[in-house]
Amino acid sequence: MNRETAWRVFAGEYNDSTLDMSDGGERSPTYVVTPLGAKVNRLFVVGVLTDMENVGTEQGPMWRGRITDPTGTFHIYAGQFQPAAAAAMSKLKPPVFAAVSGKSRVYKPDSGATYVSIRPEIVKVVDANLRDYWVLESCQSLKKRLEAAREAYQMNPPTVGELLKLGCSSALSAGLVAAVAHYGNVDLSRYSSMLAESLRYLLPEFQESRPPETEGVIKVEEKVAEKAPQKGADDQLEGDVLALIEQLDKDGKGASWDAILDGAKKHKVDRDKLEELVNVLLDKGLVYEPVLGRMKKI
Amino acid sequence: MQEEIASHARDISRALGGKVSEKEIENELNNYLNVYRVSLDTAKRSIVRKHGGDPTGLQLGVSKTIKELIPGEQSVDMLCRIVSVDGRQIDVEGGPKDILYGILGDQTGTVPFTAWVVEGLDLHKGDVVRVRNAYTKEFRGQVQVNFGNRTTLAKESPDALPPYEPGKGSVPRGPPTPMKVVDLKEGSSNVALIVRVLDVEKRQVQVNGDAKTVFSGTFADETGKVKFSAWKDFSISPSDTLKIEGGYVKAWRGIPQFSFDERSAVSKIEASTLPTVEELEKSPRVWIEDLAERGGAIDVVVRGIVIDIKEGSGLVYRCPECKRVLRKMACRIHGEVQGTPDLRVKAVVDDGSGALIAVFGKDLTEGLLGKTLEACITEAKENMSQEVVRDQLADLLVAQPVEVRGNVTSDDYGLMMIVDGAKILKVDVEQEARAMLEELEGLEDTA
Repeated sequence: MNRETAWRVFAGEYNDSTLDMSDGGERSPTYVVTPLGAKVNRLFVVGVLTDMENVGTEQGPMWRGRITDPTGTFHIYAGQFQPAAAAAMSKLKPPVFAAVSGKSRVYKPDSGATYVSIRPEIVKVVDANLRDYWVLESCQSLKKRLEAAREAYQMNPPTVGELLKLGCSSALSAGLVAAVAHYGNVDLSRYSSMLAESLRYLLPEFQESRPPETEGVIKVEEKVAEKAPQKGADDQLEGDVLALIEQLDKDGKGASWDAILDGAKKHKVDRDKLEELVNVLLDKGLVYEPVLGRMKKI
Repeated sequence: MQEEIASHARDISRALGGKVSEKEIENELNNYLNVYRVSLDTAKRSIVRKHGGDPTGLQLGVSKTIKELIPGEQSVDMLCRIVSVDGRQIDVEGGPKDILYGILGDQTGTVPFTAWVVEGLDLHKGDVVRVRNAYTKEFRGQVQVNFGNRTTLAKESPDALPPYEPGKGSVPRGPPTPMKVVDLKEGSSNVALIVRVLDVEKRQVQVNGDAKTVFSGTFADETGKVKFSAWKDFSISPSDTLKIEGGYVKAWRGIPQFSFDERSAVSKIEASTLPTVEELEKSPRVWIEDLAERGGAIDVVVRGIVIDIKEGSGLVYRCPECKRVLRKMACRIHGEVQGTPDLRVKAVVDDGSGALIAVFGKDLTEGLLGKTLEACITEAKENMSQEVVRDQLADLLVAQPVEVRGNVTSDDYGLMMIVDGAKILKVDVEQEARAMLEELEGLEDTA
């Protein structure tokens, strides 16, 4: 009985999952199977905890948190049956870098949709270095799966034996066989660009296109302090940007960064200034980032 | 066969107290065996019951060869030779007890045995014995023969069975399979290996009561290291490169170990293509999923993230008798004792492909904490809690990338590494990401 592996999977891949399975037997664990064949019972994620709230009651709290990585958002839920994790979560003040190890969860309401989340076992505040290290690990892990998935989706149908021969681990082979049977045709280019984007995310030469997510977290306090004298003017602009974000959020998924930037120019706010203002709004908890590159009013 | 039937009929008749004639029973027995084709054992019991008798009164078991034995036989007879026999004292409720154990053989195979009653038992290697009323059990998937208090043994003449030839039938056939160290798995046999000798020592050991000389040490190739045992003097010396054909693999706590003996061919390769001893001494980095498939390995490096600190980490107290960690100041075996303080960490290290428990001893734990065992004891007293040290370790280690080196064993609870060396892992994330991206874009360009 080996301990379940803590998979390194990006939110973008994890949230695409619509398949859950167990190996059969009463006490056997359940797995979420991603389109690339990661057979996830436990996962380890590091990202920015952007917001957190108690969606339960005072007596029976249920903490819900969102953790973003370069590709999307993980949803984590901890209640009375995860006392250690719930206690740790209740003390967190977003935004912070957080590491979470936990169990995969699936919720399938009658509408037919599938929602995957994480039930945390351990939650810990970490730093940007660990986040970057996790992104790198997740890239390596994604690359391995992507290469295997390219082979598997061409086999008709793939078998565990054939995949083992190609050097896949037994866990990945079993996951891929189930994934191909369930997902049928998957656009793998989505995942190869996810991989490239996530690698670029780690490189300074590409950071211009990087939304002000980490800078915001690190520098926000000193900037707020520096700008104290022109507080009145900034308050006005903050209000404008907040209104802009609300106005541009047409589909409920948040306003895109590019659209906000265009809109801000009309208020004579340049890129740097806008980043600064958005950081302040993030810090005040007036907006959050549901996915990277999108802002939403709370 | 008919003669044997007659003796079984006699046995049934005796169990029934002579109520039914032997002739009648013999006919009945033939009917059961040849018409209804039930087993001899069942037939005998059925006949006794049919006539209102008690089947436990039967004395003559069913004679079987070793190959025919199945687990769970209640009463079985066999004619076999003692291939090896050795004595041992075991602890049972009520104090120590002497037992004999060894291997039985006949023309069809061999099987391990244990004799639970040794009084009056005089067994020697090579004896041919008629065993009556033995029983069998299964242990680790193998049939085992047990001699209990109902069992009787009678010596027969040595030529009642053809002499036992060691290894007969298991001589390697066909060409041996070439393997790398990393591929060795428990049960592999007739293996061909090309390795360099890192170290070797000569030892005297007792095997089934006989003194034997064994040459043991460490082999390595570019894929890893493995412990070896050579049961013959092949004049192995350090830094030699050897080609060994006809070796086999056994496992110790999951770690594959390579053995070879007089049936193996060993030759020295002068123009070695393997790296030098210094190169091979280094511990290779492995993925945990590969360790899980191999069952264990010696001296490997694992890189992963500590994702949990298990209970029983930090400041612990050990039983002075058996070194077990005390729970609530009591030892599982020796009860309430005055414990000896110690420091250790049991950390779950996960590399994304699998997880193992890494056990750090006192010195490494002191190094991680930056303070001594004595300082930890003082702190625990001040805080009125042993847990304070565990909490500090969790703060330090959880979510921390680490590189750990050591031997990895496995059991029912999974993989475990006894850590010899550990360091906080520092990775140049930017450089690795750039290399990966360039490789990726290179592929796209050529595609």
